Amino acid sequence: MEMSASDAARAGIAAGTKSRTRLISLCVNGEWHEVAVKPRNMLVEVIRDTIGLTGTKASCESGTCGACTVLVEGRPVLGCITLAVECDGKQVQTVEGLAEGEKLSAIQEAFLDQGAVQCGFCTPGMLMSATALLRRNPKPTREDINKALEGNLCRCTGYNAIVDAVLQVSGQGGVEPVME
Amino acid sequence: MSELNYVGKSFKRKDGPDKVTGKAVYTQDVKLPNTLIGRILRSPHAHARIVRIDTSRARALPGVKAVITVDDTKGIKHGFVETPRYPPDQEVLARGKVVHVGEEIAAVAAIDQITAQQALALIDIEWEILPAVFDPEEAMKADAPEIHPSHPKAPGKHSNIGGSTETEWGDVEQGFAESDYVREDRFECQLRTHGYLEPHATLAHWESDKLNVWTSSMGVFVKRAKLAKVLDLPYSSVRIHKAYVGGTFGGKIDLYSHEYCASRLSMITGRPVQITASREEIFSAFRHAQPLILEIKTGVKKDGTIVAQRIRAINNAGAFRGSGVVVIFLAWGFTMIPYRIPNLKYEGFSVYTNHTVRAPQRGHGAPKVRFAIESQMDMIAEALGIDPIAIRMRNAREPGEQLPNGDNTHRGGLAACVALAAEKSDFLAKRGRNREQSPKSTIRRGIGIGASAYMGGTLIYPNGSGVIVKMNDDGSVIVLTGAIDIGQGSETVISQIVAEELAIGMGDIKIIAADTDVTPQDIGAWISGNTYVTGNAARQAAGNAREKLLQVAAEKMDVPVEQLLCRDKVVYHRLNAEVKMTYREVIAASVASHRGDTIIGEGFWRTMRDEPTHPSLATTKGRWTENYAFSAQVAEVEVDIETGEAKLVKALTVHDCGFPINPQLVKGQIDGQISMALGHAFMEEVLTKNGYTLNPNWLDYRMPTIHNMAISEDADVITEQYRVGQPYRTKEVGEGLISGILAAMGNAVYDATGVRLHSTPFSAEKILAGLRAVEYAAKKSRQDEAAQA
Repeated sequence: MEMSASDAARAGIAAGTKSRTRLISLCVNGEWHEVAVKPRNMLVEVIRDTIGLTGTKASCESGTCGACTVLVEGRPVLGCITLAVECDGKQVQTVEGLAEGEKLSAIQEAFLDQGAVQCGFCTPGMLMSATALLRRNPKPTREDINKALEGNLCRCTGYNAIVDAVLQVSGQGGVEPVME
Repeated sequence: MSELNYVGKSFKRKDGPDKVTGKAVYTQDVKLPNTLIGRILRSPHAHARIVRIDTSRARALPGVKAVITVDDTKGIKHGFVETPRYPPDQEVLARGKVVHVGEEIAAVAAIDQITAQQALALIDIEWEILPAVFDPEEAMKADAPEIHPSHPKAPGKHSNIGGSTETEWGDVEQGFAESDYVREDRFECQLRTHGYLEPHATLAHWESDKLNVWTSSMGVFVKRAKLAKVLDLPYSSVRIHKAYVGGTFGGKIDLYSHEYCASRLSMITGRPVQITASREEIFSAFRHAQPLILEIKTGVKKDGTIVAQRIRAINNAGAFRGSGVVVIFLAWGFTMIPYRIPNLKYEGFSVYTNHTVRAPQRGHGAPKVRFAIESQMDMIAEALGIDPIAIRMRNAREPGEQLPNGDNTHRGGLAACVALAAEKSDFLAKRGRNREQSPKSTIRRGIGIGASAYMGGTLIYPNGSGVIVKMNDDGSVIVLTGAIDIGQGSETVISQIVAEELAIGMGDIKIIAADTDVTPQDIGAWISGNTYVTGNAARQAAGNAREKLLQVAAEKMDVPVEQLLCRDKVVYHRLNAEVKMTYREVIAASVASHRGDTIIGEGFWRTMRDEPTHPSLATTKGRWTENYAFSAQVAEVEVDIETGEAKLVKALTVHDCGFPINPQLVKGQIDGQISMALGHAFMEEVLTKNGYTLNPNWLDYRMPTIHNMAISEDADVITEQYRVGQPYRTKEVGEGLISGILAAMGNAVYDATGVRLHSTPFSAEKILAGLRAVEYAAKKSRQDEAAQA
């Protein structure tokens, strides 16, 4: 059955067009991927569904919770409101790229030491924001930490343990790490 | 053997490495080939008749593989509660009419998200709009629109009653007559939501005669029972697989329609179907918590001793029964645990309105009840000229007290918590200090206390937990448990218990969890009982494996079992460490000489074996649990009297969780509850108008961010011990600690400003209005004095 013009309009389908696919290149965690994307596709969709790295989480899909935070050219961006085509040719780092082989990064270790992980759904985004912070400011104050992580919601931990984890990595304390 | 090596210590989370590396698989991360995307058509009206529905245009859209309405279902109803008094009242898709905005009407499976979304727009519905009602007290009136005319009428004079709870003991009128001071107050709480980061998501795959489901839940066995029921399938045909869960807080317990729709669409298309709710959908159509109205009349003696209390609770339950009839039952329970009340009369109503259905939310009524009672307690204390600590100490339950429902407080008690909280916070010295503050500053600091108590491991389907400990040839262990780790750390806690009982390292334990086909049944992570119920089952299972190991070792070593001990995967002679067998050797010996037996331990546990089922929701008759956790919490707040903005600065939690298996996980639960409670107190509210959610996102629904965190200190009044081979009574810690602190914040705002708020949230507007009222009253009394002089 052919769709009438009025039905198409109701369904939000632009008459007689099919949105074009573009080929883009993303260097994700050091590996180049050539992927076909629609202009409407968000970076988080491409990372999760096309490239298959599901560590990055999609939660609010409107840029309000920070769960989808990844680093593009070293800067934290929200994958759910960043168009994939904007990232053509760029370096992207996700939570899967933090550890070197089996060796966790210092901030990953600190999250475990301090009990900064509960349900774990905010954790990847939180780790990426914290990583970006510590790279540009290895000794952040509490104010710096609050500023850097203010866009990342966590409903489980109450944030204290997360701050402690960042402080631990920057050699500014945090509570005593727990045993193995 | 008294030394503990694994329990009582802060081991790192078992699931931690997977969660910090992005390897942890949540429902949305499960990818199956050929998966279709499902979307749900939801009601745009709060109350309307569906005159006609036509899905033919949607079906004809290229890429659409199936469309279902209620005509494609078996018409089997379900409910959060399913009892003879409260039969299931909800269908999986709307039949003939809708009763709330967002109610599920039809579902579509298509090749991608955008096609599914387009198909929804092509479903034609002819509506007849019906009058709707949103306020529960309006809905109770005789002339209110009737939301469920076909339901059996609840006895009584009110309309739209989904359920009611009534109970009393003593003679409450006599009690008021004997009281020196009586006061009545009304308290209200706002509509709040859970705010789990992981959206509701389900992937269903029908494979000829088996439905495989991954869904974000709080207990796989409850999901299986409900899903199998509405699909009319045997339990053996429905498998709920394990997936990590990104937060729940009560909002993912009951069956949700999208879970049915994904399953049914997969059965029709033969392809996997995935449905993920958008955040806007969750805010405007899914279940929020229960906003309660509480009217409390309390009579006390001059010294503050409670003589009588009458409580009326009204719950705005939304358009189906949901957990509304549970919350009005629980509201009674949260009333009677912390303090002695010799005469009590309680009535609670769960009222149907044209709002979205309600779910439990962390504490399930306790924050609202404790806010009300603890606020009133401070008002009574002030009127009597006694301090908040003294009045609580006078009424607080002690260990070993019998509760009105036949339960016992055992070794728990509130008095010790209140005393320690007062001491650690220097409460009496700090209280009232703001009134001497410099008039130059606009900041007023206040301190307040609140108390609470919470039950753990209550009987609700499936009532008990089983655990299997399967030993490998090398002495390492596979643990099968139905418990689901929603972030609370159940896998870690269970591993610690197994490690302790079997004397093996944490690294030798691997957990297979939360899979209905593979693991034993489990109560689920939703009645604050995993550590107690599943934990004791794990203890028994590991103990059972240990006994079998020792039996074989005793035979082979020719030593009585009593003279053997286990340490680090080796069985030793107690008196001669040279006489030993490794677990590997013992298991090999067992296989060689015992019909090929490897070592498998099994364990089961439930609360109150002598109690057949849960208590009556309507009459409260029947026992509840063996485990009550008590707590006293102190809040220090700062209020800016210029802007009315208030914030929590410091929280102290003194609690009795029995025996902390993992102190760091306990601390995590406390901090999380402090954060959630300060959201309740100062920030969060789901705003609705005519059943529509006005703020369906996190920009407009303000959840605490890292800027809002407060200092959170705690002290554990440890009342229980852990001994290898013996049952332990670990208590609740994940829900009850959201309540006392809420009340404490209200009392602290009063201490800072003199503004007594009878409703949450304690918004800047309310505080400013209160400050003006306080100022006006002071001015008026000065004028009156002047006039008199």
